[in-house]
Amino acid sequence: MATAILEQFINGAMMGSIYVLMALGMVLIYGVMHVLNFAHGVLFMVGGYMAHLYFFNLTGSYPLAILCSMASLALIGMVLERLIFRQLRDNLRMQIVASLGLILIIQNGVVQLWGPHALQMRPASVDALVRVGQLSFTVQHFVIIGVVALAVTVLYLFLTRTRLGTAMRATSQHPEAAVVVGIDPNRVYTLTFMIACALAGLGGALLGPLFLIFPQMGDAPMLKALSAIIIGGMGSVPGAIVGGLGIGILESLSTLVIPTDYRDTIVFGALILMLLVRPWGIFGVRVRGEH
Amino acid sequence: MKLSLSAIAGLALFVLGALAPLIFGSQPYILYVLTLALCYAIPAIGMNLLYGYTGLVSLGHMGFAGVGAYTTAVLMKDFGVPFVPSLLAGAGAAGLIGLVVGIPCLRLRSHFFIVVTLAVGMIMYTLFNNLDALTGGAEGLPGIPRPEGFAIGAFEVEFRSLTGFYLLVFTVTALVFLLQYVLVRSDFGRSLSSVRQDESLAAARGVNVFAHKLFAFVLSAAIAGVGGAMKVLFLRAAAPLSFELQESINLIMMLILGGAGYLIGPIIGAITFVALPEFLRVASELRLIFFGFVLLLLARFAPRGICGLTEAAYTKLSNREKAVVAHT
Amino acid sequence: MSPILEVSGISKNFGGIQAVDGASFSLGQPGIYGLIGPNGAGKTTMFDIICGRQIPNAGEVRFHSQRIDGMKPYRLAREGLARTFQECRVLPEETCLDNVLFAAQDKRLGGEVVQALTRSGKARRAAEAEARRLLRLINLERYADEPAGALSYGQRRLLEIVSCLMSKPRILLLDEPASGINPTLLNTLRDFLVEIYEETRIVFLIVEHNMEFIMSLASEIVVMHQGRVLTQGAPDRVQSDKSVIDAYLG
Repeated sequence: MATAILEQFINGAMMGSIYVLMALGMVLIYGVMHVLNFAHGVLFMVGGYMAHLYFFNLTGSYPLAILCSMASLALIGMVLERLIFRQLRDNLRMQIVASLGLILIIQNGVVQLWGPHALQMRPASVDALVRVGQLSFTVQHFVIIGVVALAVTVLYLFLTRTRLGTAMRATSQHPEAAVVVGIDPNRVYTLTFMIACALAGLGGALLGPLFLIFPQMGDAPMLKALSAIIIGGMGSVPGAIVGGLGIGILESLSTLVIPTDYRDTIVFGALILMLLVRPWGIFGVRVRGEH
Repeated sequence: MKLSLSAIAGLALFVLGALAPLIFGSQPYILYVLTLALCYAIPAIGMNLLYGYTGLVSLGHMGFAGVGAYTTAVLMKDFGVPFVPSLLAGAGAAGLIGLVVGIPCLRLRSHFFIVVTLAVGMIMYTLFNNLDALTGGAEGLPGIPRPEGFAIGAFEVEFRSLTGFYLLVFTVTALVFLLQYVLVRSDFGRSLSSVRQDESLAAARGVNVFAHKLFAFVLSAAIAGVGGAMKVLFLRAAAPLSFELQESINLIMMLILGGAGYLIGPIIGAITFVALPEFLRVASELRLIFFGFVLLLLARFAPRGICGLTEAAYTKLSNREKAVVAHT
Repeated sequence: MSPILEVSGISKNFGGIQAVDGASFSLGQPGIYGLIGPNGAGKTTMFDIICGRQIPNAGEVRFHSQRIDGMKPYRLAREGLARTFQECRVLPEETCLDNVLFAAQDKRLGGEVVQALTRSGKARRAAEAEARRLLRLINLERYADEPAGALSYGQRRLLEIVSCLMSKPRILLLDEPASGINPTLLNTLRDFLVEIYEETRIVFLIVEHNMEFIMSLASEIVVMHQGRVLTQGAPDRVQSDKSVIDAYLG
């Protein structure tokens, strides 16, 4: 039993790390721009396809492919923000309509370009195994956990130590704050979208080799990340990290006691439970004494 | 002016709909597509009450349609309950689930609420897919009987043929539309609208915002249940795929396309959404990409859909007419 | 006889800031009352508490001797308490006529649904006639079928006040009605408020920054300072009160 728990724990931590990447991107966009980007999952998927493209056609090196994939996604993010989301600021319902439109375009566009079948890429880290007691995991499991930890640290330093990062945090609390610091808020919005999309691209590039690369690969991570940011507290960066890891581990451990078919139900059940008990999330702030 | 335009459009749709079996009698395929479109128009009307009038987005609404569908299907297939009570029970079950979901979730802020509806839709889909004893699991429930016909004197009404069933769905749609019409045109409709436009103002004028949202949510869930039931009766089988996330999103798309907040918006949207692809004979991916661009354009330039565009064009035209009259 | 509105010992703090600190005052009879005070005096918080937007930490508010503090805004509205908003709120997509009718209609869910099924044409026409009369009062009758969002700011302000009146309130709370109004229109606004007061004879409680406006309008002034009520009395007496002058200058 202990080995089974350990196995599911490490699997959960790996998936949780992926959710953290997604959740961080969505939380940044939500915090700074008050946009819920439902299309984040398809961007994650594009990250996987980009990594595949760069790995086989251009670089041949997995780390380089990851970086190129992130850069491409950042570029896509810039275009999306400029062309679509900037025009729909403060219009929640139309943002949702637009992101549904994006999902249709991107998901079916990928099917058109690459076909509906799953792609495979196997860098060395997927085939190499690490032994932990009686268990063995691929090196990729630990690459994912390590890279995500690194990305989170870099993001943290960026948000706290640099002027642009400070402007981003300030904007999330007060839209006019960036102007006071002397930074064009539109630049902050664009930058936020670019970073968030790059994180989604990183996620896709990391997870793609371990499972497969297919048009729907981003759907589940997006839904889990949504749950994570709400459980963690909407707009809270630490909340996204704790929520993402928590959900990954919870759903993985739940398979020990409940049929796998109900894994998603466990996560969404936890989400609904959380909303009933503590709707402002783990790290969110409750507003008291108001009707 | 506005009123007469929508009244004319509504009446024209009604007459066309009632005469459709005569017009398309020799083309069963068109009648088939039209029947399917009306099966979607019913939940879209429910969604219109929720989204178009009250301003709430639900991304899991086909889940409620599924509850109605399975309830009606099981009652008719396994217990031999007649059509009308089964349909009402389906609507009631969907509304009940809506109530259970709505009470805790409608207190949440709009962003949270949207995500929860998404989660609820996913959970319901998982349940349809896995509760084999009740729903038949992934295979679904085949062999659902069509409603029994009846006779008025020598005149016999049956629902087994395509024409017969079309007329049944048409009648149900017309009734649901009538319900929407009565509610929206009443003081209650104005209260729902006030909730969409400004919650604080609505509350300051005495509207119990939560109660109104809950009522709209439960009602729209129940209407979705009716739609789901009609769909499985038409297809003669209930399968979880009919009620998956994509279907819920399709529902939103139909409504946006037709025009949320217009009485006939959901009907125009459902017919366009279901019928257009049937005549746009290209690969399904290209079709969906096309719809994606349509959504982007609607979000950016025409948030009130086909009805909004028509109204704007009509107003412009009549203004020009007025100007000409004033000039001469 | 108990006063119409009685505020006793109200305190409210936000985090460490004591916005209102044991404020008490009472409005005994119908009249136009002004609630004033320098910035940070707590008058906006006090207003929010009376309107049910905030729940006080201590103290109570009584309206015709019924406790109303902590009651939700929609309940207060049904008790006959109508309010305007500082930033002026109307339903932008509804027509002016519908805005006014909306204020008058029954908003209890059950009542509305019954009404939807058993609408009486006569009652509806009566309400519409009254709404048109009120719109004529503010010169908006010709815009009756235009959406309220198309009106100018000043017109929206008048529409908001008229909508409040349509609901036949027992008390009308106005949150800085003069803010954002063109100085030349202030006299019109003042005359209009006096006119409708003469017609309704209910309590008008007005939070206001514009001294000249409120002093020439109100029959009695409540002055707040540092979360407490400094004094209450006729405008000329308040204006010459040394503590009031000190509070504004200090």
